[in-house]
Amino acid sequence: RRRAELRALALGQGDFQLRDQEGRPRRKADFRGQWVLLYFGFTHCPDVCPEELGKLSHAVELLEREPGLPPVQPLFITVDPERDDAAAMGRYLRDFHPRLLGLTGTPEEVRAAGSAYRVYASAGPRDEDGDYIVDHTILIYLLGPDGLFLDCYGRSKSAQDIARSVRRHMDTYEPLPD
Amino acid sequence: VAKMSAPTMEERKACWGARDEFWQCLDRHADDASKCEKLRRSFESRCPQQWVKYFDKRRDFLKYKKKLETEGYHPPEADGKS
Repeated sequence: RRRAELRALALGQGDFQLRDQEGRPRRKADFRGQWVLLYFGFTHCPDVCPEELGKLSHAVELLEREPGLPPVQPLFITVDPERDDAAAMGRYLRDFHPRLLGLTGTPEEVRAAGSAYRVYASAGPRDEDGDYIVDHTILIYLLGPDGLFLDCYGRSKSAQDIARSVRRHMDTYEPLPD
Repeated sequence: VAKMSAPTMEERKACWGARDEFWQCLDRHADDASKCEKLRRSFESRCPQQWVKYFDKRRDFLKYKKKLETEGYHPPEADGKS
C-alpha cells in the first residue's frame, strides 16, 4: 500500500540533464537499469550533508557485502550550483563512497532536477565573505531500475535501516511491463 | 570574486570538535558564556562565520527542545517563571 501511495506522489518523473564531477553529461535516463540512492545537498553544508552522505555511503557498503545483490549507485545532486561546480564536487566527494557521483549544472538545470523530487531549497543571506547556507529538504531517495521513485529516508533512519529497506525493495521488485 | 572553497573533512572535524568543546563548557557552566570565552574564540576561529551562526541557532533550538521534553509546554500567559 505504501508503494501505491509513493507511486501516487509520482516523484522524480521526467528527465534531468546535469554534469558529473568529471564534467561528463549525465541524464536521468543514464541510470535506467540501476538502483540509485540519491541525496540533494551542498558542499558548504555545516553538518547535515556530511552526515547524510556518510550514512548513504555506509548503506551502500552494507548492501555491497551481501552476495547476489545488484550494485546500488550513490548519487549526490547539488542545491547550490553557484558554488558547487564540477571541481568543488570532486573535492567534496573524495571523503565518501568511491562510486559516489556528484551532479551539478546551471541554476535552471539544477532547479529542474530538484523540483522533480519536490526538493525545497532556499539560499540564506550572504555574509561579508559571500558565504551562505542553503536551507533544503533532507531526504535520501531510492530509485528503482525503471527510474521510478520507490522510497525515501529521513534523518532518523540509520544506514542499517536504509540497507534493510533497499534489500526488501529488491526482493519484491517487479519490473514494469514494457 | 574568487569562490571560497568549502571546508575539507579535516576542517569540518576541527570545527565540530571546537564547537563540542565550547558546548561542553557551556553545559558545565549552566550556559554562562563568560566562563567559556577561550573556547568560544577557538570555535569561531575554526568554523566559517556562517557555521558559527548556524550552530548558535542549533544550540538554542536543542535547549528549547530539551526544555519542552523535560518541563512540558507552558503557554506564555501561564509561565510566571522565565
